[in-house]
Amino acid sequence: MDDYVITVLSNIGMISFVALSAYLLLLTGVISFGQQAYFGLGAYAAGAATAMLLLPIWAGILIGACVAGLMAALVGALTLRLRGLYFSISTLAFAEMVRLVLLIVEVQVEVDGELVGPAGAEGFHDIRWMFERDISLGEFMLLIYALLALVLVALLLIERSRLGSIFRMLGSDDLLADMQGLNVVGYRVLAAGLAGVLAGIGGALYAHFTTYVEPQFFNVMLGVHALAYGLIGGLGTAFGPLIGVAIDVGFLEAVRFIQGYRMIVFGGLVALLLIFMPRGLLDEERVHRLKARFRRRGDAHAAGS
Amino acid sequence: MLELRGLSKHFGGVKALDGLDLSVREGEIFGLIGPNGSGKSTAINLICGVYAESAGTVRFSGQVMNGKAPHERLRAGIARTFQNIRLFPNLTVWQNLWVAQNSPRDVAAQGFLSRWFGATRRTRRELAELLELADLGHKGDELASNLAFGEQRRLEFARAAAARPRLLLLDEPAAGMSRQEIEDLGGRIRGLRDSGVTILLVEHVMELVMGVTEQIAVLNFGKKIAFGTPGEVQRNEAVQEAYLGTSASDSGAAGEGA
Repeated sequence: MDDYVITVLSNIGMISFVALSAYLLLLTGVISFGQQAYFGLGAYAAGAATAMLLLPIWAGILIGACVAGLMAALVGALTLRLRGLYFSISTLAFAEMVRLVLLIVEVQVEVDGELVGPAGAEGFHDIRWMFERDISLGEFMLLIYALLALVLVALLLIERSRLGSIFRMLGSDDLLADMQGLNVVGYRVLAAGLAGVLAGIGGALYAHFTTYVEPQFFNVMLGVHALAYGLIGGLGTAFGPLIGVAIDVGFLEAVRFIQGYRMIVFGGLVALLLIFMPRGLLDEERVHRLKARFRRRGDAHAAGS
Repeated sequence: MLELRGLSKHFGGVKALDGLDLSVREGEIFGLIGPNGSGKSTAINLICGVYAESAGTVRFSGQVMNGKAPHERLRAGIARTFQNIRLFPNLTVWQNLWVAQNSPRDVAAQGFLSRWFGATRRTRRELAELLELADLGHKGDELASNLAFGEQRRLEFARAAAARPRLLLLDEPAAGMSRQEIEDLGGRIRGLRDSGVTILLVEHVMELVMGVTEQIAVLNFGKKIAFGTPGEVQRNEAVQEAYLGTSASDSGAAGEGA
Protein backbone atom coordinates (compact mmCIF):
# COMPACT_ATOMS: atom_id res chain seq x y z
CA MET A 1 0.00 0.00 0.00
CA ASP A 2 1.33 3.43 -0.78
CA ASP A 3 1.18 6.28 1.67
CA TYR A 4 -1.78 7.86 -0.06
CA VAL A 5 -4.00 4.81 0.37
CA ILE A 6 -2.83 4.44 3.96
CA THR A 7 -3.67 8.06 4.66
CA VAL A 8 -7.16 7.73 3.21
CA LEU A 9 -7.81 4.52 5.14
CA SER A 10 -6.46 6.06 8.33
CA ASN A 11 -8.68 9.10 7.84
CA ILE A 12 -11.67 6.81 7.45
CA GLY A 13 -10.71 5.09 10.68
CA MET A 14 -10.18 8.28 12.66
CA ILE A 15 -13.29 10.03 11.37
CA SER A 16 -15.24 6.87 12.25
CA PHE A 17 -14.69 7.63 15.92
CA VAL A 18 -16.44 11.00 15.58
CA ALA A 19 -19.19 9.37 13.53
CA LEU A 20 -19.74 6.74 16.24
CA SER A 21 -19.70 9.50 18.83
CA ALA A 22 -22.50 11.40 17.08
CA TYR A 23 -24.30 8.09 16.46
CA LEU A 24 -24.39 7.20 20.15
CA LEU A 25 -26.10 10.49 20.92
CA LEU A 26 -28.46 10.14 17.98
CA LEU A 27 -29.52 6.78 19.41
CA THR A 28 -30.66 8.50 22.57
CA GLY A 29 -32.59 11.03 20.52
CA VAL A 30 -30.43 14.11 20.81
CA ILE A 31 -28.70 15.88 17.96
CA SER A 32 -25.30 17.27 18.77
CA PHE A 33 -23.53 19.64 16.40
CA GLY A 34 -20.58 19.77 18.74
CA GLN A 35 -18.82 16.40 18.76
CA GLN A 36 -15.85 17.97 16.96
CA ALA A 37 -15.08 19.81 20.21
CA TYR A 38 -14.35 16.52 21.98
CA PHE A 39 -12.32 15.33 19.02
CA GLY A 40 -10.30 18.52 19.37
CA LEU A 41 -9.99 18.28 23.15
CA GLY A 42 -8.85 14.68 22.80
CA ALA A 43 -6.26 15.70 20.22
CA TYR A 44 -4.84 18.53 22.31
CA ALA A 45 -4.86 16.57 25.56
CA ALA A 46 -3.20 13.52 24.00
CA GLY A 47 -0.69 15.69 22.18
CA ALA A 48 0.19 17.49 25.39
CA ALA A 49 0.62 14.18 27.18
CA THR A 50 3.11 12.69 24.74
CA ALA A 51 4.89 15.78 23.39
CA MET A 52 5.04 17.95 26.50
CA LEU A 53 4.95 15.46 29.35
CA LEU A 54 6.74 12.75 27.35
CA LEU A 55 4.27 10.06 28.36
CA PRO A 56 3.82 6.90 26.28
CA ILE A 57 1.17 6.84 23.55
CA TRP A 58 -1.29 4.62 25.42
CA ALA A 59 -1.27 7.13 28.26
CA GLY A 60 -1.83 9.89 25.73
CA ILE A 61 -4.83 8.17 24.21
CA LEU A 62 -6.21 7.38 27.66
CA ILE A 63 -5.79 10.97 28.80
CA GLY A 64 -7.32 12.28 25.58
CA ALA A 65 -10.32 9.97 25.98
CA CYS A 66 -10.79 10.86 29.66
CA VAL A 67 -10.49 14.62 29.18
CA ALA A 68 -12.97 14.56 26.30
CA GLY A 69 -15.32 12.17 28.11
CA LEU A 70 -15.38 14.13 31.37
CA MET A 71 -15.84 17.40 29.56
CA ALA A 72 -18.68 15.94 27.48
CA ALA A 73 -20.42 14.55 30.58
CA LEU A 74 -20.02 17.88 32.36
CA VAL A 75 -21.37 19.88 29.43
CA GLY A 76 -24.12 17.28 29.00
CA ALA A 77 -25.16 17.58 32.64
CA LEU A 78 -25.52 21.33 32.13
CA THR A 79 -27.26 21.28 28.76
CA LEU A 80 -29.19 18.01 28.40
CA ARG A 81 -32.15 19.41 30.30
CA LEU A 82 -32.75 21.57 27.26
CA ARG A 83 -35.10 20.10 24.70
CA GLY A 84 -34.54 19.36 21.02
CA LEU A 85 -33.27 22.30 19.06
CA TYR A 86 -32.21 24.24 22.16
CA PHE A 87 -29.84 21.46 23.11
CA SER A 88 -28.45 21.26 19.57
CA ILE A 89 -27.73 24.97 19.54
CA SER A 90 -26.02 24.75 22.92
CA THR A 91 -23.70 21.99 21.64
CA LEU A 92 -22.78 24.17 18.69
CA ALA A 93 -22.11 27.12 20.98
CA PHE A 94 -19.89 25.04 23.25
CA ALA A 95 -17.93 23.60 20.33
CA GLU A 96 -17.27 27.06 18.94
CA MET A 97 -16.21 28.18 22.39
CA VAL A 98 -13.68 25.38 22.61
CA ARG A 99 -12.34 26.19 19.16
CA LEU A 100 -11.99 29.89 19.96
CA VAL A 101 -10.30 29.18 23.28
CA LEU A 102 -7.83 26.86 21.56
CA LEU A 103 -7.11 29.69 19.10
CA ILE A 104 -5.70 31.84 21.91
CA VAL A 105 -4.24 29.31 24.32
CA GLU A 106 -0.47 29.38 24.33
CA VAL A 107 1.20 27.00 26.72
CA GLN A 108 4.65 25.90 25.65
CA VAL A 109 7.35 24.02 27.44
CA GLU A 110 10.93 23.37 26.44
CA VAL A 111 11.67 19.83 25.37
CA ASP A 112 15.19 19.05 24.14
CA GLY A 113 15.87 22.73 23.58
CA GLU A 114 12.71 23.27 21.54
CA LEU A 115 9.45 24.89 22.50
CA VAL A 116 6.53 22.46 22.25
CA GLY A 117 2.86 23.00 22.98
CA PRO A 118 -0.31 24.68 21.76
CA ALA A 119 0.56 28.00 20.16
CA GLY A 120 -2.82 29.60 19.61
CA ALA A 121 -3.81 30.03 16.00
CA GLU A 122 -0.50 28.50 14.91
CA GLY A 123 -1.74 25.19 16.20
CA PHE A 124 0.06 22.52 18.18
CA HIS A 125 3.10 21.31 16.24
CA ASP A 126 5.71 18.64 16.74
CA ILE A 127 3.67 15.85 18.25
CA ARG A 128 6.50 13.64 17.08
CA TRP A 129 5.81 10.40 18.88
CA MET A 130 5.67 8.41 15.62
CA PHE A 131 8.92 9.77 14.24
CA GLU A 132 10.87 9.46 17.44
CA ARG A 133 10.03 5.80 17.54
CA ASP A 134 10.33 5.29 13.82
CA ILE A 135 6.80 4.00 13.45
CA SER A 136 5.50 3.84 9.89
CA LEU A 137 2.15 5.14 8.72
CA GLY A 138 1.07 1.56 8.04
CA GLU A 139 1.81 0.48 11.57
CA PHE A 140 -0.07 3.45 12.94
CA MET A 141 -3.00 2.57 10.71
CA LEU A 142 -3.08 -0.85 12.33
CA LEU A 143 -3.24 0.83 15.74
CA ILE A 144 -6.16 2.96 14.54
CA TYR A 145 -8.08 -0.04 13.29
CA ALA A 146 -7.30 -2.15 16.33
CA LEU A 147 -8.78 0.56 18.55
CA LEU A 148 -11.72 1.02 16.20
CA ALA A 149 -12.43 -2.70 16.33
CA LEU A 150 -12.27 -2.60 20.12
CA VAL A 151 -14.67 0.33 20.27
CA LEU A 152 -17.00 -1.33 17.78
CA VAL A 153 -17.14 -4.54 19.80
CA ALA A 154 -17.87 -2.51 22.92
CA LEU A 155 -20.67 -0.65 21.15
CA LEU A 156 -22.17 -3.85 19.75
CA LEU A 157 -22.14 -5.35 23.24
CA ILE A 158 -23.83 -2.25 24.62
CA GLU A 159 -26.48 -2.47 21.90
CA ARG A 160 -27.33 -6.01 22.95
CA SER A 161 -27.49 -5.00 26.59
CA ARG A 162 -30.28 -3.51 28.63
CA LEU A 163 -28.41 -0.21 28.55
CA GLY A 164 -28.55 -0.30 24.75
CA SER A 165 -32.29 -0.89 24.82
CA ILE A 166 -32.64 2.03 27.21
CA PHE A 167 -30.65 4.30 24.87
CA ARG A 168 -32.95 3.33 22.01
CA MET A 169 -36.01 3.91 24.19
CA LEU A 170 -34.88 7.47 24.89
CA GLY A 171 -34.51 7.96 21.16
CA SER A 172 -37.97 6.76 20.28
CA ASP A 173 -40.09 8.17 23.14
CA ASP A 174 -38.39 9.88 26.06
CA LEU A 175 -41.59 10.74 27.92
CA LEU A 176 -42.61 7.08 27.87
CA ALA A 177 -39.15 6.12 29.11
CA ASP A 178 -39.55 8.57 31.96
CA MET A 179 -42.93 7.09 32.86
CA GLN A 180 -41.31 3.68 32.96
CA GLY A 181 -39.01 4.73 35.71
CA LEU A 182 -35.92 5.75 33.78
CA ASN A 183 -34.04 8.92 34.59
CA VAL A 184 -33.92 10.36 31.09
CA VAL A 185 -31.42 13.14 31.76
CA GLY A 186 -29.15 10.79 33.70
CA TYR A 187 -28.95 8.22 30.93
CA ARG A 188 -28.37 10.92 28.34
CA VAL A 189 -25.50 12.38 30.37
CA LEU A 190 -24.01 8.88 30.46
CA ALA A 191 -24.40 8.58 26.68
CA ALA A 192 -22.85 12.03 26.20
CA GLY A 193 -19.87 11.01 28.34
CA LEU A 194 -19.35 7.81 26.37
CA ALA A 195 -19.72 9.74 23.12
CA GLY A 196 -17.09 12.19 24.36
CA VAL A 197 -14.72 9.30 25.07
CA LEU A 198 -15.18 7.98 21.51
CA ALA A 199 -14.51 11.37 19.93
CA GLY A 200 -11.55 11.86 22.26
CA ILE A 201 -9.91 8.61 21.15
CA GLY A 202 -10.33 9.68 17.53
CA GLY A 203 -8.77 13.05 18.27
CA ALA A 204 -5.86 11.51 20.17
CA LEU A 205 -5.07 9.27 17.20
CA TYR A 206 -5.44 12.16 14.79
CA ALA A 207 -2.97 14.34 16.66
CA HIS A 208 -0.32 11.61 16.49
CA PHE A 209 -1.04 10.65 12.92
CA THR A 210 -0.66 14.16 11.50
CA THR A 211 1.92 15.30 14.13
CA TYR A 212 0.18 18.63 14.46
CA VAL A 213 -3.30 19.89 15.17
CA GLU A 214 -4.86 23.27 14.71
CA PRO A 215 -8.19 24.59 15.98
CA GLN A 216 -9.38 25.24 12.44
CA PHE A 217 -9.74 21.53 11.80
CA PHE A 218 -12.35 21.17 14.54
CA ASN A 219 -14.85 23.48 12.93
CA VAL A 220 -18.54 22.82 12.72
CA MET A 221 -18.32 20.98 9.38
CA LEU A 222 -16.67 18.03 11.11
CA GLY A 223 -19.58 17.83 13.55
CA VAL A 224 -22.18 18.15 10.81
CA HIS A 225 -20.50 15.42 8.79
CA ALA A 226 -20.37 13.19 11.84
CA LEU A 227 -24.13 13.55 12.20
CA ALA A 228 -24.69 12.94 8.50
CA TYR A 229 -22.74 9.67 8.63
CA GLY A 230 -25.18 8.23 11.13
CA LEU A 231 -28.15 9.46 9.13
CA ILE A 232 -26.81 8.02 5.87
CA GLY A 233 -25.69 4.71 7.28
CA GLY A 234 -28.71 4.27 9.52
CA LEU A 235 -29.20 4.02 13.25
CA GLY A 236 -30.01 0.32 13.42
CA THR A 237 -26.47 -0.76 14.24
CA ALA A 238 -23.06 0.75 14.92
CA PHE A 239 -21.98 -0.42 11.45
CA GLY A 240 -24.35 2.20 9.99
CA PRO A 241 -22.24 5.30 10.64
CA LEU A 242 -19.10 3.42 9.51
CA ILE A 243 -20.75 2.82 6.15
CA GLY A 244 -21.53 6.53 6.08
CA VAL A 245 -17.86 7.42 6.63
CA ALA A 246 -16.71 4.89 4.05
CA ILE A 247 -19.09 6.37 1.48
CA ASP A 248 -18.05 9.95 2.14
CA VAL A 249 -14.30 9.75 2.74
CA GLY A 250 -13.63 6.53 0.83
CA PHE A 251 -15.80 6.75 -2.22
CA LEU A 252 -15.49 10.47 -2.77
CA GLU A 253 -11.76 10.33 -2.22
CA ALA A 254 -11.55 7.53 -4.77
CA VAL A 255 -13.21 9.60 -7.46
CA ARG A 256 -10.88 12.52 -7.17
CA PHE A 257 -11.86 14.12 -10.46
CA ILE A 258 -15.02 15.43 -8.80
CA GLN A 259 -12.97 16.84 -5.94
CA GLY A 260 -14.19 20.39 -6.40
CA TYR A 261 -17.78 19.21 -6.37
CA ARG A 262 -17.35 16.94 -3.39
CA MET A 263 -19.65 18.83 -1.07
CA ILE A 264 -22.28 19.10 -3.78
CA VAL A 265 -22.17 15.37 -4.45
CA PHE A 266 -22.19 14.61 -0.74
CA GLY A 267 -25.10 16.95 -0.12
CA GLY A 268 -27.03 15.45 -3.02
CA LEU A 269 -26.36 11.96 -1.74
CA VAL A 270 -27.65 12.85 1.71
CA ALA A 271 -30.75 14.46 0.20
CA LEU A 272 -31.50 11.41 -1.98
CA LEU A 273 -31.02 9.03 0.92
CA LEU A 274 -33.26 11.04 3.19
CA ILE A 275 -35.97 10.96 0.54
CA PHE A 276 -35.80 7.25 -0.24
CA MET A 277 -34.50 5.86 3.03
CA PRO A 278 -35.39 8.39 5.69
CA ARG A 279 -33.94 6.26 8.46
CA GLY A 280 -30.69 5.48 6.64
CA LEU A 281 -29.32 2.39 4.94
CA LEU A 282 -29.32 0.13 7.99
CA ASP A 283 -32.36 1.17 10.01
CA GLU A 284 -33.73 -0.85 12.93
CA GLU A 285 -36.31 -2.66 10.82
CA ARG A 286 -33.71 -3.84 8.29
CA VAL A 287 -31.19 -4.78 10.95
CA HIS A 288 -33.84 -6.80 12.74
CA ARG A 289 -34.69 -8.70 9.55
CA LEU A 290 -31.02 -9.34 8.79
CA LYS A 291 -30.47 -10.65 12.30
CA ALA A 292 -33.52 -12.90 12.03
CA ARG A 293 -32.21 -14.31 8.73
CA PHE A 294 -28.78 -15.02 10.19
CA ARG A 295 -30.36 -16.67 13.18
CA ARG A 296 -32.53 -18.89 11.00
CA ARG A 297 -29.56 -19.87 8.88
CA GLY A 298 -27.64 -20.62 12.07
CA ASP A 299 -30.50 -22.79 13.35
CA ALA A 300 -30.79 -24.66 10.04
CA HIS A 301 -27.06 -25.21 10.09
CA ALA A 302 -27.16 -26.53 13.64
CA ALA A 303 -30.09 -28.82 12.80
CA GLY A 304 -28.33 -30.12 9.69
CA SER A 305 -25.05 -31.02 11.34
CA MET B 1 -53.78 4.58 49.01
CA LEU B 2 -54.23 7.35 46.43
CA GLU B 3 -55.58 10.66 47.70
CA LEU B 4 -56.37 13.58 45.43
CA ARG B 5 -57.25 16.85 47.16
CA GLY B 6 -58.52 19.83 45.20
CA LEU B 7 -56.55 18.70 42.17
CA SER B 8 -56.79 21.24 39.34
CA LYS B 9 -55.22 21.77 35.97
CA HIS B 10 -55.77 24.89 33.91
CA PHE B 11 -54.65 25.25 30.31
CA GLY B 12 -54.81 28.98 29.80
CA GLY B 13 -58.42 29.81 30.58
CA VAL B 14 -59.66 26.22 30.24
CA LYS B 15 -60.16 24.36 33.47
CA ALA B 16 -59.48 20.81 32.34
CA LEU B 17 -59.70 19.62 35.92
CA ASP B 18 -61.28 21.72 38.63
CA GLY B 19 -60.78 20.79 42.26
CA LEU B 20 -61.02 17.01 42.11
CA ASP B 21 -61.18 15.12 45.40
CA LEU B 22 -60.79 11.38 45.19
CA SER B 23 -59.58 8.56 47.33
CA VAL B 24 -58.77 5.10 46.08
CA ARG B 25 -58.43 2.35 48.69
CA GLU B 26 -55.74 -0.27 48.57
CA GLY B 27 -56.73 -3.36 46.61
CA GLU B 28 -59.81 -2.01 44.88
CA ILE B 29 -60.69 -1.47 41.25
CA PHE B 30 -61.79 2.13 40.98
CA GLY B 31 -63.56 3.46 37.89
CA LEU B 32 -63.26 7.00 36.58
CA ILE B 33 -65.75 7.83 33.85
CA GLY B 34 -67.23 10.83 32.13
CA PRO B 35 -67.97 12.21 28.67
CA ASN B 36 -65.15 13.13 26.28
CA GLY B 37 -63.16 16.11 27.50
CA SER B 38 -64.37 15.80 31.07
CA GLY B 39 -60.83 15.63 32.50
CA LYS B 40 -60.22 11.90 32.96
CA SER B 41 -56.99 11.75 30.99
CA THR B 42 -55.84 15.00 32.58
CA ALA B 43 -56.34 13.36 35.98
CA ILE B 44 -54.19 10.40 34.94
CA ASN B 45 -51.48 12.66 33.57
CA LEU B 46 -51.43 14.60 36.83
CA ILE B 47 -51.23 11.45 38.94
CA CYS B 48 -48.30 10.01 37.01
CA GLY B 49 -46.51 13.34 36.71
CA VAL B 50 -46.69 14.17 33.01
CA TYR B 51 -48.35 17.49 33.82
CA ALA B 52 -47.65 19.75 36.76
CA GLU B 53 -50.82 20.53 38.70
CA SER B 54 -52.15 24.09 38.85
CA ALA B 55 -53.46 23.51 42.36
CA GLY B 56 -54.13 20.71 44.81
CA THR B 57 -52.18 17.69 45.95
CA VAL B 58 -51.55 14.13 44.85
CA ARG B 59 -50.80 11.85 47.78
CA PHE B 60 -49.74 8.25 47.27
CA SER B 61 -49.57 5.95 50.29
CA GLY B 62 -49.12 8.97 52.51
CA GLN B 63 -46.39 10.57 50.43
CA VAL B 64 -46.94 13.86 48.60
CA MET B 65 -46.11 13.36 44.93
CA ASN B 66 -46.28 16.99 43.78
CA GLY B 67 -43.16 18.03 41.91
CA LYS B 68 -41.87 14.48 41.44
CA ALA B 69 -40.79 13.40 37.97
CA PRO B 70 -42.63 10.52 36.27
CA HIS B 71 -39.71 8.12 36.83
CA GLU B 72 -39.72 8.87 40.56
CA ARG B 73 -43.44 8.17 40.72
CA LEU B 74 -42.98 4.87 38.93
CA ARG B 75 -40.41 3.87 41.47
CA ALA B 76 -42.86 4.83 44.20
CA GLY B 77 -45.25 2.34 42.57
CA ILE B 78 -47.46 4.19 40.07
CA ALA B 79 -47.55 2.74 36.54
CA ARG B 80 -49.89 3.39 33.65
CA THR B 81 -51.03 2.36 30.19
CA PHE B 82 -52.08 4.65 27.37
CA GLN B 83 -55.28 5.39 25.53
CA ASN B 84 -53.47 5.26 22.21
CA ILE B 85 -51.02 2.40 22.48
CA ARG B 86 -47.55 3.60 23.31
CA LEU B 87 -44.75 1.07 22.91
CA PHE B 88 -41.19 1.22 21.72
CA PRO B 89 -41.76 0.10 18.12
CA ASN B 90 -38.08 -0.38 17.34
CA LEU B 91 -37.46 -2.72 20.25
CA THR B 92 -38.50 -6.34 20.42
CA VAL B 93 -41.38 -7.48 22.58
CA TRP B 94 -38.91 -9.00 25.00
CA GLN B 95 -36.83 -5.81 25.22
CA ASN B 96 -39.97 -3.77 25.81
CA LEU B 97 -40.64 -5.85 28.91
CA TRP B 98 -37.02 -6.06 29.99
CA VAL B 99 -36.49 -2.32 30.25
CA ALA B 100 -39.80 -1.91 32.07
CA GLN B 101 -38.46 -3.68 35.16
CA ASN B 102 -37.67 -0.65 37.24
CA SER B 103 -39.32 -1.31 40.56
CA PRO B 104 -37.01 -0.83 43.55
CA ARG B 105 -37.25 -4.57 44.19
CA ASP B 106 -35.96 -5.39 40.72
CA VAL B 107 -33.28 -2.72 40.85
CA ALA B 108 -31.99 -4.21 44.08
CA ALA B 109 -32.26 -7.80 42.88
CA GLN B 110 -30.66 -7.31 39.48
CA GLY B 111 -27.35 -5.88 40.64
CA PHE B 112 -25.11 -3.60 38.62
CA LEU B 113 -24.00 -5.92 35.82
CA SER B 114 -27.25 -7.66 35.06
CA ARG B 115 -29.14 -4.40 35.38
CA TRP B 116 -27.17 -2.70 32.67
CA PHE B 117 -25.90 -5.60 30.63
CA GLY B 118 -27.11 -9.21 30.53
CA ALA B 119 -30.32 -10.53 32.02
CA THR B 120 -30.05 -12.99 34.89
CA ARG B 121 -31.72 -16.39 34.68
CA ARG B 122 -34.33 -15.19 37.14
CA THR B 123 -35.14 -12.16 35.00
CA ARG B 124 -35.50 -14.40 31.95
CA ARG B 125 -37.84 -16.70 33.81
CA GLU B 126 -39.99 -13.84 35.10
CA LEU B 127 -40.24 -12.23 31.69
CA ALA B 128 -41.11 -15.57 30.08
CA GLU B 129 -43.94 -15.91 32.59
CA LEU B 130 -45.19 -12.41 31.80
CA LEU B 131 -45.10 -13.19 28.08
CA GLU B 132 -47.02 -16.41 28.68
CA LEU B 133 -49.63 -14.57 30.74
CA ALA B 134 -50.08 -12.06 27.93
CA ASP B 135 -50.40 -14.87 25.37
CA LEU B 136 -47.29 -13.53 23.64
CA GLY B 137 -45.04 -16.48 24.49
CA HIS B 138 -43.90 -17.10 20.92
CA LYS B 139 -43.60 -13.40 19.98
CA GLY B 140 -40.69 -12.41 22.20
CA ASP B 141 -38.28 -11.72 19.34
CA GLU B 142 -40.72 -9.77 17.18
CA LEU B 143 -40.40 -6.01 16.90
CA ALA B 144 -43.25 -4.41 18.83
CA SER B 145 -44.29 -2.57 15.68
CA ASN B 146 -44.99 -5.89 13.94
CA LEU B 147 -47.61 -7.00 16.45
CA ALA B 148 -51.33 -6.95 15.75
CA PHE B 149 -53.46 -4.38 17.56
CA GLY B 150 -54.76 -6.75 20.23
CA GLU B 151 -51.27 -8.09 20.85
CA GLN B 152 -49.91 -4.58 21.29
CA ARG B 153 -52.61 -3.91 23.88
CA ARG B 154 -51.67 -7.07 25.75
CA LEU B 155 -47.99 -6.13 25.57
CA GLU B 156 -48.75 -2.74 27.05
CA PHE B 157 -50.61 -4.43 29.86
CA ALA B 158 -47.78 -6.89 30.45
CA ARG B 159 -45.26 -4.08 30.44
CA ALA B 160 -47.21 -2.22 33.11
CA ALA B 161 -47.22 -5.42 35.16
CA ALA B 162 -43.45 -5.83 34.65
CA ALA B 163 -42.93 -2.59 36.56
CA ARG B 164 -44.56 -4.27 39.63
CA PRO B 165 -46.75 -1.26 40.37
CA ARG B 166 -48.82 -0.91 43.51
CA LEU B 167 -51.22 1.34 41.66
CA LEU B 168 -51.94 0.87 37.95
CA LEU B 169 -53.66 3.60 35.94
CA LEU B 170 -55.46 2.17 32.92
CA ASP B 171 -56.37 4.82 30.36
CA GLU B 172 -59.16 3.45 28.16
CA PRO B 173 -57.64 -0.01 27.78
CA ALA B 174 -60.69 -1.36 25.93
CA ALA B 175 -60.67 1.25 23.14
CA GLY B 176 -61.06 -0.49 19.80
CA MET B 177 -61.49 -3.96 21.28
CA SER B 178 -64.02 -6.59 20.29
CA ARG B 179 -66.54 -7.89 22.82
CA GLN B 180 -64.50 -11.02 23.35
CA GLU B 181 -61.27 -9.09 23.83
CA ILE B 182 -63.04 -6.88 26.38
CA GLU B 183 -64.11 -9.93 28.36
CA ASP B 184 -60.54 -11.21 28.25
CA LEU B 185 -59.29 -7.80 29.41
CA GLY B 186 -61.74 -7.81 32.32
CA GLY B 187 -60.25 -11.12 33.42
CA ARG B 188 -56.73 -9.75 33.20
CA ILE B 189 -57.63 -6.68 35.25
CA ARG B 190 -59.20 -8.82 37.98
CA GLY B 191 -56.22 -11.16 37.90
CA LEU B 192 -53.83 -8.27 38.41
CA ARG B 193 -55.90 -6.91 41.28
CA ASP B 194 -55.95 -10.33 42.92
CA SER B 195 -52.15 -10.31 42.80
CA GLY B 196 -52.25 -7.16 44.95
CA VAL B 197 -52.32 -4.25 42.51
CA THR B 198 -54.76 -1.39 43.08
CA ILE B 199 -56.35 -0.26 39.83
CA LEU B 200 -57.71 3.05 38.62
CA LEU B 201 -59.66 2.43 35.42
CA VAL B 202 -60.57 5.24 33.05
CA GLU B 203 -62.91 3.86 30.44
CA HIS B 204 -65.71 4.64 28.01
CA VAL B 205 -66.84 1.09 27.52
CA MET B 206 -69.52 0.76 30.21
CA GLU B 207 -69.69 -3.02 29.95
CA LEU B 208 -66.14 -3.21 31.26
CA VAL B 209 -66.48 -0.46 33.87
CA MET B 210 -69.73 -1.78 35.32
CA GLY B 211 -68.38 -5.32 35.27
CA VAL B 212 -65.11 -4.96 37.12
CA THR B 213 -65.14 -1.83 39.29
CA GLU B 214 -66.21 -1.53 42.90
CA GLN B 215 -66.40 2.25 43.11
CA ILE B 216 -66.93 4.79 40.37
CA ALA B 217 -66.44 8.53 40.21
CA VAL B 218 -68.04 10.47 37.35
CA LEU B 219 -66.46 13.61 35.93
CA ASN B 220 -68.05 16.29 33.80
CA PHE B 221 -66.36 19.55 32.76
CA GLY B 222 -63.48 18.87 35.11
CA LYS B 223 -65.66 18.37 38.19
CA LYS B 224 -66.78 15.30 40.04
CA ILE B 225 -70.56 15.04 39.64
CA ALA B 226 -71.19 11.64 41.17
CA PHE B 227 -69.57 8.92 43.22
CA GLY B 228 -70.69 5.48 44.32
CA THR B 229 -71.04 1.83 43.40
CA PRO B 230 -71.72 0.98 39.74
CA GLY B 231 -75.44 0.53 40.51
CA GLU B 232 -75.72 3.88 42.31
CA VAL B 233 -73.92 5.72 39.56
CA GLN B 234 -76.13 4.22 36.86
CA ARG B 235 -79.26 5.44 38.65
CA ASN B 236 -77.82 8.92 39.29
CA GLU B 237 -79.76 11.63 37.48
CA ALA B 238 -76.86 14.04 37.09
CA VAL B 239 -74.86 11.29 35.41
CA GLN B 240 -77.64 10.46 32.96
CA GLU B 241 -77.95 14.13 32.13
CA ALA B 242 -74.21 14.51 31.59
CA TYR B 243 -74.14 11.63 29.15
CA LEU B 244 -77.44 12.20 27.35
CA GLY B 245 -77.27 15.95 27.44
CA THR B 246 -74.01 16.21 25.56
CA SER B 247 -73.38 15.79 21.83
CA ALA B 248 -74.64 12.75 19.96
CA SER B 249 -71.19 11.23 19.49
CA ASP B 250 -70.47 11.38 23.21
CA SER B 251 -73.68 9.71 24.28
CA GLY B 252 -73.16 7.20 21.50
CA ALA B 253 -69.74 6.27 22.80
CA ALA B 254 -71.08 6.00 26.32
CA GLY B 255 -74.13 4.03 25.31
CA GLU B 256 -72.16 1.55 23.22
CA GLY B 257 -71.33 -0.81 26.02
CA ALA B 258 -74.21 -0.08 28.36
